[in-house]
Amino acid sequence: MSKEKKIVIVSSDNEKFTVDRKVAEKSILIKNMLEDLLSNEDHNGDNDDDNELLRDAAAVDNNDLDVIEIPTPNVRSTVLKLIIEWCEHYKDISFPDENQDEDSKKTPPIDEWDKNFLNVDQEMLYEIILAANYLNIRPLLYSGCKMVAEMIRGKSPEEIRKTFNIVNDFSPEEEAAIRRENEWAEDR
Amino acid sequence: MSVSEDTERCTKKPRLDDKVVFRMANQLEGKAGLEQNTDPKADKKKLSSNTDKNNNVTNFLTHHVVDQSMIPRDNFHKYCYRHNPDVTCNKNTDQCKMDEIQDAMEKIPPRDREAITHVWSIFSAAPYQHRSLILRGLLSQCCFPQLSMISEEVKSLIRLDFISTLPTELSLKILCYLDCASLCNAAQVSRKWKRLADDDRVWHYMCEQHIDRKCPQCGWGLPLLAMKRARHIPDEVSKEIPHTTAIDVKDNNTNKASKNTNTNTTVSKEVAPAARKTRPWKVVYSERYKVERNWRKGVYKVRTIEGHTDGVTCMQLGYKILMTGSYDSTIKIWNLETGALIRSLGGHTRGVRTLAFDDQKLITGGLDGTIKVFNYHTGECISTYHGHNNHVVSLDFIGKTIVSGSADQTVKVWHVETRTCYTLRGHTDWVNSVKIHPKSMTCFSASDDTTIRMWDLKTNSCIKVFGGEENKGHVGQVQCVIPLNIKYEIVEDLEKDNFADETREAQDSATPETEEEKNYPTHILTSSLDTTIKLWNVKTGKCVRTQFGHIEGVWSIAADTFRIVSGAHDRTIKVWDLQSGKCMHTFGSNDSSVSCVSLGDTRFASGLENGKIKVYYFD
Repeated sequence: MSKEKKIVIVSSDNEKFTVDRKVAEKSILIKNMLEDLLSNEDHNGDNDDDNELLRDAAAVDNNDLDVIEIPTPNVRSTVLKLIIEWCEHYKDISFPDENQDEDSKKTPPIDEWDKNFLNVDQEMLYEIILAANYLNIRPLLYSGCKMVAEMIRGKSPEEIRKTFNIVNDFSPEEEAAIRRENEWAEDR
Repeated sequence: MSVSEDTERCTKKPRLDDKVVFRMANQLEGKAGLEQNTDPKADKKKLSSNTDKNNNVTNFLTHHVVDQSMIPRDNFHKYCYRHNPDVTCNKNTDQCKMDEIQDAMEKIPPRDREAITHVWSIFSAAPYQHRSLILRGLLSQCCFPQLSMISEEVKSLIRLDFISTLPTELSLKILCYLDCASLCNAAQVSRKWKRLADDDRVWHYMCEQHIDRKCPQCGWGLPLLAMKRARHIPDEVSKEIPHTTAIDVKDNNTNKASKNTNTNTTVSKEVAPAARKTRPWKVVYSERYKVERNWRKGVYKVRTIEGHTDGVTCMQLGYKILMTGSYDSTIKIWNLETGALIRSLGGHTRGVRTLAFDDQKLITGGLDGTIKVFNYHTGECISTYHGHNNHVVSLDFIGKTIVSGSADQTVKVWHVETRTCYTLRGHTDWVNSVKIHPKSMTCFSASDDTTIRMWDLKTNSCIKVFGGEENKGHVGQVQCVIPLNIKYEIVEDLEKDNFADETREAQDSATPETEEEKNYPTHILTSSLDTTIKLWNVKTGKCVRTQFGHIEGVWSIAADTFRIVSGAHDRTIKVWDLQSGKCMHTFGSNDSSVSCVSLGDTRFASGLENGKIKVYYFD
């Protein structure tokens, strides 16, 4: 426990990324996993875990005492690479507590660095959002969601359809009725 | 395991797609065969290479065909977005592209068609890694114009329907970041979008962000509209009992709304009980949105009520009723819906100058120097307090404590329960306005001596005096004071020199807040016969904003979370934005000066010097 372990995150296509612990711990999923793992090791526990991932990681750990491998079977290497880049950038910044954040109900505009970082194609943004959700990296997840919101904001229904390649599945009558229903918000 | 799974995911193509490609391949091959008969020379060469190629392709296909037998269960995990058969959105555009390609193919010589088709079928059969390899190889051969074409094509192809395909909680999260106009547009995109963009969770969040507070994002705030709930509450006047808790809540919200002191409870608690029963949050939102827009655009209806035989001096709006006091020495209760007189209360021997009511009692003060307490449901005068040596011109109450201001230059605090009365001395002229701030149990008084004083009702001592040239105080008689708790940034007047600014900041940081001070209102708003309305920082005791616009003295002001209404001797009423201090609307065409105003969520009322009452409705 005393010596600093190397953390290796493995993507779904088996690419390995070696990172500092504090970088990896930007992911709450990995953070919790590591905490469980290392406390288990302290007690010389013999892998009684229910968690399969944990057991995998622990097994690797036993083979090579200095390396902990963490598989992320939902995340492709190209996505994982970006996610780790994000975690590196924010490794020294601690984000406000989640609950506190909800209470104050403040949603600041998207961070300028994040905005640049997330200026990727829709597929990549989609995968980053899913991965951030899976790995539990909330600030990244929220930035991703805000990026999508910005793509919707201020657009007409037709423009939104174009932006996301969506087929209008309303009948003309339905469409007219729904437009009337939403007219109240049109002019400020 | 994870590798093969991922390979699977991207290799698997939906049947539709495969069919199209292979159909094209077959068609083209068939045509090529026909031509071979007519041109045997070229045939031979072609045939041999063709067989080779076919063998290659077949080998390739059989080698990888095993992969395709492992058909996964969950399409969202096993397919990429484009090839997921559950995602229909992009199929349409893909189909168009296919047709375009087919057309183009038919225009080129059969041999070329054949060759191209081979390239495609190899690619189509290749597993994930091979596909990447093929593409990388192709890309490395491309000229720049071709790369540019690819980049254009790709841009139009990589579009995906986040809202429909992300997990619902993430889609709702995204929608919560939008403004209401964008949300209403999103609801018109498709069925799936409509379901999510109309979701109660999104609109509940929108309501929380906007109702009775300013949204930090968009700067909009919506009125509480507690009026809507009043329908479910027994009539204020006709029913004497029971006074349920519902009435108490209601009373806190609007009767005291003009003081804006106790709006700390959360919106969901306040709006929910009545609204949730029947109506979606989107309706709750839109209803308030329409009222707010009317306020902003100045869309209203006006009703003139006549009945007083002399100038109206004071008034207070309730849910369904309006109470007015007049120099004709009566208090009249009006039905706001119809404008009809419900009751006229007598008792004062001279003009009535001030009144305040809650759900049970009405307390009035007059030129006869007395304070009277009425049960306005019956019209009965319960008690009369003597004590001031001159006119009683202002009063306010909370629970069993009454505070009154008088022409005898004093403020008196009447504790009805213990039958004690304290006199607060300090003003050197008439005390025109007194307001209790219940949370801190402090009281503010405004006087003809041009100052405002802040009193501690627990110790009966003066805490602060607001006024003087150095604090940019009023230069005329102060007519009205309102304590405010402003939780958002407000626009302040610019300091003329930076030095003053620095000293102020230094002062700010130098004195840490005591527990007591934390409960104080953040600001007070005052109006004066010097024609201005001033906003003061309670902590520093300085005036931070002066609002100009009236050309004669401002007799009366009222304010809520969003707005200020002012009535002046120049016969106009103005509505101001509380945050910016800008005048939004001016209501002229009064035939007399305006002596009092009162503000509700959807309306305001004004009393005129000639006895007329005008009510402006914004719903």
